[in-house]
Amino acid sequence: MIKIENLCKEFPLSKEQKKERNTSDKFASAVSNVSFDCNPGEVFSLLGPNGAGKTTILRMLSTVIQPSSGSIEICGIDAIKYPREARSKLGFLTGSTGLYARLNAHEIIDYFASLYNVPHAILKERKSYLFDLLGMNEFAHKRIGKLSTGMKQKVSICRTMIHDPEVVIFDEPTSGLDVITADSIIQLIRDCRDQNKTVLFSSHIMGEVDLLCDRLAIIHQGQLKHHGTMDDFRAQMTGKSLTGEFINIVQS
Amino acid sequence: MIFKIFKKELKDTIRDRRTMLMMLVIPVLIFPILINVVVNIQTSFADSAEEKVLRIGIIGDTNDYIAHKLSAIPESFGPKKLIPYSGDSLKLYADQKNETIDLIIWYDKNLEEDLASNKKTSIIWGFDKTNLGYSQRAKSYMQIIEAEERFKRYDALGIDEQQLNPFDTIYENTASEQQMLGELAGGFLPYIFIVFGFMGCMYPSIDLFTGEKERGTIETLLTTPVQRWKILVGKMLVIVLSGLMSSISALIGLFFSIQFLDIVPDPSLVAIIASILTPGFIIKLFLLLLPLTIFFAGVMIPISVYTKTFKEAQSIIAPLNIVFILPAAVGLFPGVELNLATACVPILNIVLTTKSLIAGNIDYLLLGISFTVMLILAAIAVFISFRQFGKETNILN
Repeated sequence: MIKIENLCKEFPLSKEQKKERNTSDKFASAVSNVSFDCNPGEVFSLLGPNGAGKTTILRMLSTVIQPSSGSIEICGIDAIKYPREARSKLGFLTGSTGLYARLNAHEIIDYFASLYNVPHAILKERKSYLFDLLGMNEFAHKRIGKLSTGMKQKVSICRTMIHDPEVVIFDEPTSGLDVITADSIIQLIRDCRDQNKTVLFSSHIMGEVDLLCDRLAIIHQGQLKHHGTMDDFRAQMTGKSLTGEFINIVQS
Repeated sequence: MIFKIFKKELKDTIRDRRTMLMMLVIPVLIFPILINVVVNIQTSFADSAEEKVLRIGIIGDTNDYIAHKLSAIPESFGPKKLIPYSGDSLKLYADQKNETIDLIIWYDKNLEEDLASNKKTSIIWGFDKTNLGYSQRAKSYMQIIEAEERFKRYDALGIDEQQLNPFDTIYENTASEQQMLGELAGGFLPYIFIVFGFMGCMYPSIDLFTGEKERGTIETLLTTPVQRWKILVGKMLVIVLSGLMSSISALIGLFFSIQFLDIVPDPSLVAIIASILTPGFIIKLFLLLLPLTIFFAGVMIPISVYTKTFKEAQSIIAPLNIVFILPAAVGLFPGVELNLATACVPILNIVLTTKSLIAGNIDYLLLGISFTVMLILAAIAVFISFRQFGKETNILN
């Protein structure tokens, strides 16, 4: 599970940034007092417009950056004190595909499996399962640089899942993908939930959120604007659509 | 874990054509190609200068003393054609300016009378020094004419040449050919290390840090349970290996050029070069090369980590090459020798130690100091790299 409490993140401002923002402050707040938790067997969605602070929260969860204050727990591990142990429980799909263009899918998956110390026999089994599930066998020997965006995203997801993590974080996993590929990824997220994994995903697309989420949090300007179940969100809708409700919350 | 990262980064780097070009292809080929081109151009210029029929404009006439003497000089000293100007000095100089003649010779009207009365007389040779071989030809013609006249005067005066030249002085070079080679070529070898080691480190460094930031792969890597210092060391090893490979490739290219392209005319010198390249020498050279390359990598990594784009990194790192070459250039000045002070100056110590290694007169204490200084510098550079790589503002664009 994931549990974050009073999470804050401040970034230092450069001289140029101070000028742009017309401020003398040394720091800018990217995330301010955000708290939520996400349980096993649940898909939790982090929603927010561009620059809301979603990626910053996900990066703090994956321990790539450190919070300025607050706490993060991943599967009961204090991620600030023990970042390596926390990372070993995580599968993190970054916003960009983040793949090595000169390697092929097999090489990338083997490499990341080795970084997670996945035993060879288990790797073989997991690779076979994920390659079949994502339909990757056809292009697994091609170099990443020669693959389409959808194929690359599949390799990225396979890379995220290869060590069978307890917690999976997807940062806009269907961004820029065709309908068929996006659908296969949505199916995979459902499978993760069925396998009792903790799934946290950020998205812009309300349709996906509606399809997948059990609970959601809406972030705007680094602050938590809404936190609750999907059913509650639907029940409190004043507009006609989920998108309309999302806009109402953000603009309120 | 470091080896896993090293193996993957090496595979990735080897598949990068640009890095391979800089790491292996250019260093191996540059010396054979460059030397071949230079030697061919030089030979062809020398041949054409020797074979060229020099048009010599003389201020007098063809029946003058000088004209006679010049005509008598055998063709083996270079073919020539005499053009008399019968005292028309303006036309003589104008024609030389227009390049219708190559050399001019100017002498006094009374030259023959002065010579007959054992007086000293002036002869002026005019040549364009930018044309190779013209001045040498003029000097060689004049030496022949002058020697003949001098001996004629000795005979007339009944003087034996030895009476005027009491000493037969010989200035003998007591340095061995190996020492000479160390002095002359020893400074050149570190240039290869610096230029190619730097070049070999540059592209992998930018690709493995700035490139990964640009492509977003660094973030993926940082979400794995691998400690950052291990990622840094794994990547750094590839950069160092690339720098070493580049230097060694250039050395192989140079050695190949010496052995097979006939650029060293003296076969004994080729044998000396071959005898210097013993396993012991190569190991000592490696001892110096290793911290130097680690130092290069240590300087480049913080820059690559800090910069946001490949172009930005390249524009900062590339000019650094000049900064590293400057202390190396000091090592080529005459009188600059390896001592306690110079052994403590980074880069310069590499140049001077290599020179001593080649000359075969290395002081092992100074070698140790040079190595330690470079090692300390490399360690500082690695520490700075680690600090920079640890900063979250640097690792994410």
